[in-house]
Amino acid sequence: MSEHQKPDTLTNLILRIAMIWRGVFTVVAAAGVITVWSGRLPEVPLWQKILLSLVLSIAAGFSAFGAVEIARRNHRGRMISLVIDYLAFVACAVMTLNIGEVFIGIDALAETFGRGIPYLGIVLAGYLLSSMDEYSVRKQTSEQSLKQVGRWVMIFGFILFLWQVDTINGVLYFLGKLAQPAGLISVAGMLIFGAALWTVWRQPSAAAMHVKTNHEQVISGWLFLSPNLIGFLIFFAGPLLLSFYFSFTDSDAFNTPNWIGLDNYAKILNIKFVTLSSPTQLAKEVVDIKIYDEVGRMMFGSWGILFAAADKFFWLALRNTLTFVLFAVPFSVVPALILSNVLNSKLPGMKFYRAIYFMPSIAAVVGISLVWQWLYNATIGYINYFITLGIEFWNNLFNLAIVDPKIQWVSDEKTALFAVILIAAWQTMGFNTVLFLAGLQNIPGELYEAATVDGAGAWDKFWGITLPLLAPTTFYVVSTTTIQAMQVFEQVFILMNPPEGPNNSTITLVLYLYRSGFQNFKQGYASAIAWVLFIVIFGLTLIQFQRQRQSSIYES
Amino acid sequence: MKKNVLFKAFSLLVILSFALAACGAPATVATEAPAAEESAATEAPAVEAPAATEAPMMEEVAIRWRTRPDNQEEIDVYSNISTELDAELNGVTLTYEPGGTEGANYQDQLRSEVAAGTAPDVFWIPGTDVADFATRGLILNMNDMATATDGFSVEDFYAGPMGHLTFNPDTATFGADSGALWGLPRDVSTFALYLNMDLINEAGAPDPRELAKEGKWDWDAFLDVAQKTRALGADVYGYGASAWWGPYGVWLNAANGGFFNADRTACALNTPESLAGLDFQRSLYQDFDVATPYGEDPEPTFRAGKVAMFQNGRWATPGVRTVEFEWDVVELPAGPSGTAGNWLFWGAYVVNAKTEHPEEAWALVQALTTAQTQGKVAALGANIPSRVSQEALDAFLTFTPPANNQAFLNGIAADANPTAEGPLWAGSWPEYDQIMGPAIQGVLTGATTVEDFGATICDSADKVFVK
Amino acid sequence: MKIQSYRLLRFISNFFLYFLLTFFALVMIFPFLYMLATSFKTPADTFRYPPRMLPQNAVTLAVDGYDEPLPLYYVDVDGQQAEYALAKSNIKIGTYAPADNLTATVDRRLTEVKPTGGATNQQKVTVNGKEEKLFDVDLDGQIVPMILVSQTTVGEFIDPKNPETKIFQNVRLSEPVESVGGHPENYTEVIELNNMARALTNTALVTILVVLGQLVTSVVGGYAFARLKFPGRDTVFVFYLGTVMIPFVMLIVPLYQLMVLIGWTDRLAALIIPWIFSAYGTFLMRQHFITFPKEIEEAALIDGASRLQILRKILIPASVPALATQATFTFLYAWNSFFWPLVIINVGNEKNHVLTLALNVLRGRASDTPNLILAGAAIAIIPPLIVFIFGQRFFVESVASSGVKG
Repeated sequence: MSEHQKPDTLTNLILRIAMIWRGVFTVVAAAGVITVWSGRLPEVPLWQKILLSLVLSIAAGFSAFGAVEIARRNHRGRMISLVIDYLAFVACAVMTLNIGEVFIGIDALAETFGRGIPYLGIVLAGYLLSSMDEYSVRKQTSEQSLKQVGRWVMIFGFILFLWQVDTINGVLYFLGKLAQPAGLISVAGMLIFGAALWTVWRQPSAAAMHVKTNHEQVISGWLFLSPNLIGFLIFFAGPLLLSFYFSFTDSDAFNTPNWIGLDNYAKILNIKFVTLSSPTQLAKEVVDIKIYDEVGRMMFGSWGILFAAADKFFWLALRNTLTFVLFAVPFSVVPALILSNVLNSKLPGMKFYRAIYFMPSIAAVVGISLVWQWLYNATIGYINYFITLGIEFWNNLFNLAIVDPKIQWVSDEKTALFAVILIAAWQTMGFNTVLFLAGLQNIPGELYEAATVDGAGAWDKFWGITLPLLAPTTFYVVSTTTIQAMQVFEQVFILMNPPEGPNNSTITLVLYLYRSGFQNFKQGYASAIAWVLFIVIFGLTLIQFQRQRQSSIYES
Repeated sequence: MKKNVLFKAFSLLVILSFALAACGAPATVATEAPAAEESAATEAPAVEAPAATEAPMMEEVAIRWRTRPDNQEEIDVYSNISTELDAELNGVTLTYEPGGTEGANYQDQLRSEVAAGTAPDVFWIPGTDVADFATRGLILNMNDMATATDGFSVEDFYAGPMGHLTFNPDTATFGADSGALWGLPRDVSTFALYLNMDLINEAGAPDPRELAKEGKWDWDAFLDVAQKTRALGADVYGYGASAWWGPYGVWLNAANGGFFNADRTACALNTPESLAGLDFQRSLYQDFDVATPYGEDPEPTFRAGKVAMFQNGRWATPGVRTVEFEWDVVELPAGPSGTAGNWLFWGAYVVNAKTEHPEEAWALVQALTTAQTQGKVAALGANIPSRVSQEALDAFLTFTPPANNQAFLNGIAADANPTAEGPLWAGSWPEYDQIMGPAIQGVLTGATTVEDFGATICDSADKVFVK
Repeated sequence: MKIQSYRLLRFISNFFLYFLLTFFALVMIFPFLYMLATSFKTPADTFRYPPRMLPQNAVTLAVDGYDEPLPLYYVDVDGQQAEYALAKSNIKIGTYAPADNLTATVDRRLTEVKPTGGATNQQKVTVNGKEEKLFDVDLDGQIVPMILVSQTTVGEFIDPKNPETKIFQNVRLSEPVESVGGHPENYTEVIELNNMARALTNTALVTILVVLGQLVTSVVGGYAFARLKFPGRDTVFVFYLGTVMIPFVMLIVPLYQLMVLIGWTDRLAALIIPWIFSAYGTFLMRQHFITFPKEIEEAALIDGASRLQILRKILIPASVPALATQATFTFLYAWNSFFWPLVIINVGNEKNHVLTLALNVLRGRASDTPNLILAGAAIAIIPPLIVFIFGQRFFVESVASSGVKG
């Protein structure tokens, strides 16, 4: 635009104010750093002091630099001002919401929310009404009026909803909180930083500082990304780093964590293989039983190998988790692959079946596990009942005498993990079927027609066309199912009592992590388990990725 | 155009929802809430301690307390007790909050709540967790307040629980002068056998209550009744017990064995006596096949009328009171030692170490453990008063059914030698539990032999004693 | 001829396909049917073996001369099945036999026989080396001394039409007369028992706020990644992409401590605020926006529209299916999540429970009443199921589209 136009006096004045503000900000931030270490503040943990003074020092430094740049009318000065003032503005806004108890006030909203739900139904009805115009075959005018009516119904319903959940009192309470000193300060902060933002944001200021169009894109880019990025840093990246730090400490949620280096990992990975000279030889004869516990042994005739570990539960958990993955993944992927091929035929009723198969995957795992718990009941459950019926039928048919096993699904260590596998496979199969179906529908039909002309049978087509072309979908399905299966927790937690199952047969890595972190309160140790789990998941995905790439190279 | 409206409505909803979120808070505090919401209104400020002190209408100190109820009836009883004590105690406003159940990690949640500062002022915890809570500094040592209280004596309660509740880890002493008092027991409970008399009569088996009176209720008689009732059908069982290692403690004690050496510092599970107790219990599952499959919860089966003798604590009584068959209880059969042996279950009211009102909390703990309050809870059927007074015991006997309440008192009596079978102050209960569970299960399901159990158990169990 | 056999073949193969499909459909749907049916039963009915699908109740009948209605049972009368009322149970019956012929047994009530020789001086006899007491048993008007071989109990069943007609037989093995009838009050009971209503509205609130919040942040974030060029964009994007595969459990410990630090433990805010910033959602939105033709946007920019206006007026209206896909995923995730609420919401604070937590508590409190537990499970499962039934096509297709893109 008018980049070479001379800035008017007003803009010059405003920019001078912006520059002074940068100076003031620098001084205040520097003063803040001094206050933090002066000992006048209420007791704050050391790391918080360090963090706070670090942030303030950086802000002060950049602010000082920004002041100089504004004086030079360099666009960098504007950028610095925008960033600092924007972040400060957001901080003040969050403070204001916090002081107004908006966040913890969600609890109070929950108190009255139930009353408002029917009125949200009116809003929904209004929306449906206003979207009806798509289906209306009448004239333009009636469409318009329908939309208008729908819109008014929505607004009306929403107002009623607000009334029902006691919004007026809520807003009054919010304002009341803001009227107190802390609230006033944070509101004032919002206003000041808002005004400061305006001084450099406005078009004439931008022009005066030689801003180009691509700068505008940079600013809107970060601006659009900022809500997401800030939240992501606070609630994801930050905790992730913290988790890494905890894994090197003895954090217990009650006391200040101590740095213990690699001890947590060392304990997890402290294992020993020794040979046994007889099947009945006791573990204490070959390993230091004060440190190691027997995890398992494998016999080859008269000799064998004993596997001992310092933390036997971790290795049991790893064994169970890997077993779970090894079975649950094929059980949910292979039937899904077959069913999706059947569903892909043009026979009538396929959408109905597809919907039925999908049902389990939308239900809460907790609820599903409770249902299966009773299905699995050894004495009165349906599963054993069906087995009994089947055996009776079989015995009568062939005059056999097969004994009814009366399986104790969840209380026998041989079947407990299998019971969990069945539930997981049952629940994810439909989801995978739908994914495969989508992949199948992307395979061009001409390929099959050409193959038919060449005289290929259904089986050849499946192996020659379907499977290779479905490889990317298969990779996606297998890797997501594996990642999910590695984190199995809810099923065992609900289904098993105690959750680790008979003879630790269903203790999984995530369950062990939960037990370490939130029952034994060894949160540092739990963090180390989490990182080992991550490495295992990462490794498995990497292997699958490699195999997929190799096979796709081979195919092409 | 239409979609634009949708977007506006959505964004409006988001913004307003957050604004709204702010609002409810006042809705409960500012408005004169109707009676139904009153409890909510009083609790809201109680959660935020500063708000409670600021609010001018709150002259009284707000105290929250919690127990672990197993059903709605228990919640109702404790709520009533809270209302009554609220009226009795001056200067205190009580709020009762029912905690989760055993399966919902009641005590683990409490630990993290104390850490997060949201735990109630007074709460009940199982006896097995007292040592851990105390050593982690989560609960208050009330000794000073107790010594300053007229008429209070630790001897008013059963010595078993009080030994643990007065244990001073610094001096390794316990008793009235140890300088420590971590809490007061709410209740005690022991195992008994719940009898399905319909099945026993149908099987023509002798009445265990009669045998117990005649002094003939021993392991042989027990096995006889179990086998006769088991013969009634493939789906009828002679004996049932929950799938954990608690019931084992009883057979172990009755055989003169023990979990620990005398000062609870090392494992004694591999002595011949201890192994004999385990072997008898194993034979019920493996050799004689009279027991419900190990691992399956026998309570539904018992209540469906398919188990003749069901080993459980007093807490099962409220549930059993709803069954349709004729039932009663009897003490456990005497073993080779000549006595039955038992397990003493107990839990205590303790005070949050972070409470702002320790004096009021101590007053509440005392009020919750008076004979009167304990009577009300005991009437519900779920527990036995923890005070050693003839008055309390006499009252307990009137809380029928079961008619034979004496069986429970026989279980607590000193010659049954009931003990809490965890390392408690000498080690870690959860870790001990995690070792015992699979080990006992292995034997009772026939996966490991008693000999193998004896050869390896103390290697693992001794680890939890290392401090 | 050839066409005919082809048709037959076709019919057979279709038959097998449908057979396979129906079999799996039954497997998929059976647990849901079981849940619904059981949630209407009485506790006793749930413990019955063999199990039955439909809820049934024992039939009782008022009989003259009895204060309470008596339960009806099927009994065998002269080879014919009849419905009799159980008037009295636990009648003790002894099986008696003469000492010299133990196979010639007769059944008598214990109250009908007298000790031979009187109670104080009962006569005894030695049978198989064991001393047995003798009893006087009335055998067709004759008194015969016999020994007690075994004893059991029976019930007294009467004909409701003619209460004088009695039949004695074992009660436990008799089949009760029952009629089909559900108990919808299980649902009201479970709602009262466990504050389930509050958990339901809490779950709805949390879900709505998470879905809306996540849509907003994902849309603006995804737009920035897809359409705006700024330094650092690609680095940040790669970073986002890398975190998509990091499992949530990695964060549970530090996130818990973060919540402790800012005082959000036991607060619904902890279930909402951390979850409205989703790397995966942002990634999906970015993938969607990047397929959108640039020309329209550029034209709008030249017309002087701002970025926000373009997003609002052009991109979002054209992206309803993609938004719906993401809303679907988020909805299911937020509604069904359990691990995080378990860690962060206190069991004691039922005001802030979500459905999965309420179920976890219910599991312990109602462990002896599966009908109530399954009623609770139904309350948690049915709302998403209803949403699914109404928008079935759309649900399934949104999942399919996500898979193809991913």
